Amino acid sequence: MGALGWILGLLLSPWVFVPLIYPGLVSAFAVLLFIIWFERKLAAKVQRRFGPYYVLRHLGGATQLVADLIRYLFAEPIIPEEADALAFVMGPALLFGLTLLPVVAIPVSGTFYAIRSDVSLLIVLALLTLGAAMTLIIGWAGNNKFSLIGGLREGFLSMAYEIPLFVAALSMAAAYGTLDLVDMVEVQAETAWGVALNPLAAFVFLVISFLATSRFPFEISEAESELVMGPFTEYSGIMYGLTMGASYLKYYVLCLLFSIMFLGGWEPVPPQLAAVPFGPGVVVFAKALALMALGVFLRAVYPRYRVDQAIRLAWHYLLPLSVASVFVSMGAAWLGLTGA
Amino acid sequence: MGGVEEVGGRGGRNPVVSLWGHLKAVGTGLKYLIAVPRMTVKYPDEVIELPDGYRGMLIYHQDLCISCGLCATICPANAIKMYLPSGGGGGEGGGEKPETPPKRHPGIDYARCIFCGFCVDICPTGALEHSKVHDAAYERVEDMLYRPEEFAAGPPTVEFERPPKRLRPVMDERRGISYEPVG
Ligand code: SF4
Ligand code: SF4
Repeated sequence: MGALGWILGLLLSPWVFVPLIYPGLVSAFAVLLFIIWFERKLAAKVQRRFGPYYVLRHLGGATQLVADLIRYLFAEPIIPEEADALAFVMGPALLFGLTLLPVVAIPVSGTFYAIRSDVSLLIVLALLTLGAAMTLIIGWAGNNKFSLIGGLREGFLSMAYEIPLFVAALSMAAAYGTLDLVDMVEVQAETAWGVALNPLAAFVFLVISFLATSRFPFEISEAESELVMGPFTEYSGIMYGLTMGASYLKYYVLCLLFSIMFLGGWEPVPPQLAAVPFGPGVVVFAKALALMALGVFLRAVYPRYRVDQAIRLAWHYLLPLSVASVFVSMGAAWLGLTGA
Repeated sequence: MGGVEEVGGRGGRNPVVSLWGHLKAVGTGLKYLIAVPRMTVKYPDEVIELPDGYRGMLIYHQDLCISCGLCATICPANAIKMYLPSGGGGGEGGGEKPETPPKRHPGIDYARCIFCGFCVDICPTGALEHSKVHDAAYERVEDMLYRPEEFAAGPPTVEFERPPKRLRPVMDERRGISYEPVG
């Protein structure tokens, strides 16, 4: 009993729980399995089809993704002769790992976090940028024209989206008067949700999270009809599975961040959950999931932007809007709306 | 760029107009998500009644065939070839020519057939005819080749695990295709 208790205690300590269970690996996998199925179902319904159906028919093919995962696991991973083997093999694992890394700085509740820092927002934002570099390396390593073009597109796009993303996120820091995500939630609990305080920043942040994660309409770097699978063209088996999961994972991280910065984080905590130390995290999770559902719904609505259109959107519209959002934040703070 | 409108060009469109466009697109998506029924037919549990004139696998009436070979000539996919009767009997080579050389008959390779129906149209005696069978499955590609004797025996019959529901497509001005059960 003692050993079991010790293991349980270890698992429930924030330093293990956060990276491993929530919001880390386990819940990330659960989200992947759910959201990809949900995306396919939703797009199918809008297009008057059924989507996944035969794997566990009574639940609408809910285990389709598990079946896919098993298939990926047993498919032969092929390494092209001309590829840069080391970068090619390491790429997907690093991409997946680095994409998930920002969750370590995302607090689960006001009292439950792995890292509490004055600058946790900056940590999350900085860690978020690492994945794009891996996509570039992957695009190069495959030694394939499609992957090269896809990688370069990702490079162009990350140049274009990272600045407005940062400016929009930091404008919220200006509004709340803190860079600490825990404090941000507390400020929102006292005043109003971030979307109400600064809708402009929320809008920019949301559009950029679609742009940064190859969601439609910005599925540009992996444009299937032009580039096969963009940077990931040469991958097969589980390596392909990892690269495909990585963009959803990044979207998951951005949605968590969005819920904390703009949707009031874990507030309001239902009283049943307040007793469990990581209970309030469920609220953040639910908000993030709802947000992800919105993003995957857009897939069924939009065709793809061209790369130049997306870059123009980012530089011509999103960047000025994000700068404007800084002024909105300053105005809100000046009017005393944020209590800062 | 005479006459070609550059969509989303440098000047861009009025952002308010394009925002309205985005909202309309999302609205249409939502409408389809909630209100518009699916059109998928859950084959093999549901099966569509096929219309007359459907170009399925072929029926070959050997008694009508005059071995003219037009079907093999017209076939654009080279699916039909003329075969000598199996089990010997003359053929080319061989020293002495028989009085009447054995007739050749068409055989079909369904791995090649594109179901264009040219052979049916050109056959002067109506020896070829379409059936409505379209969903036969084969384990080996060699099995898809039917020599004249097998061709004459008719297309394979398809068996369903459960008896399927039969549906008839109905064109609807507003909803597009929908299906109603028959019988
Ligand atoms: S249907 Fe067309 S392709 Fe098929 S055997 Fe006849 S002529 Fe050839
Ligand atoms: S099936 Fe018709 S077209 Fe073909 S050889 Fe016989 S008679 Fe001629």
